[in-house]
Amino acid sequence: MRNPVVRLQVPAEIASLKECCAFVRRGAEATGLASEEIDRLDLVLEELFVNIARHAYSPGTGQVEVGYSVEAPGRLWVEITDSGRAFNPLAGDPPDFSLGLADRPLGGMGLFLVKALADSVRYERDGNCNRISFVVSGGPGSGPAVQNKLA
Amino acid sequence: MEIQSTQLEKAVVVKVSGRMDAENAHQFQRACEEWIARGTTCILVELSDLQYVSSMGLSCFLAVAKTLQAKAGSVSLCQLQGLPRQVFEMTRLIGLFPIYDSVAAALASLS
Repeated sequence: MRNPVVRLQVPAEIASLKECCAFVRRGAEATGLASEEIDRLDLVLEELFVNIARHAYSPGTGQVEVGYSVEAPGRLWVEITDSGRAFNPLAGDPPDFSLGLADRPLGGMGLFLVKALADSVRYERDGNCNRISFVVSGGPGSGPAVQNKLA
Repeated sequence: MEIQSTQLEKAVVVKVSGRMDAENAHQFQRACEEWIARGTTCILVELSDLQYVSSMGLSCFLAVAKTLQAKAGSVSLCQLQGLPRQVFEMTRLIGLFPIYDSVAAALASLS
């Protein structure tokens, strides 16, 4: 059973990113995640948040709600909700790794990293909201699932 | 994030420390572009104290590398470690940059 979810609402803009990361970090520290795991958490949160800030309400503005819950010691669940246009950030293809420097596009790596670095990640369209949740945990057996996929 | 640049005879060493994220990554790109505008074609980025880089930072590294490639130059990564190394590996960017264990090793490769 998940513990109560603590929530924060901020404008969907890059300038809110630091506040968001600091907010979720309180949960990460409460659950005892190590600093390397907190960096991994920050990265997943940043990529998802930046994606919403850039695209969800463009060219208008809107709000993002970030919530977290300490699922168990060393295991943090995070949810990000916006009411912008429907977008499943998990649906895209990975970057084309075969391309050389001249042809490699500058973008397309953020959402790939989300899938690679979160222990698990889930998207749902709920009414007029996009809801994406992910888990970052520490300890043996945790960590980026992509390690196995790349092996 | 802190950026310190040192001009040497054959290269510019750009030391980046701290956290490179969506809010500040463009500062790194701008610092490199200023050196390129002054004629530098070889940039060595010293990363021993870089703790964090997100995809925005990766894009900036890639943009600088593309610019220098077009000028027959290069941007080399020195002492790439920790989470930054992990994300360069995951995104396979690591194969697109010369990688060195130290600035000294990168400089030795130029001579």
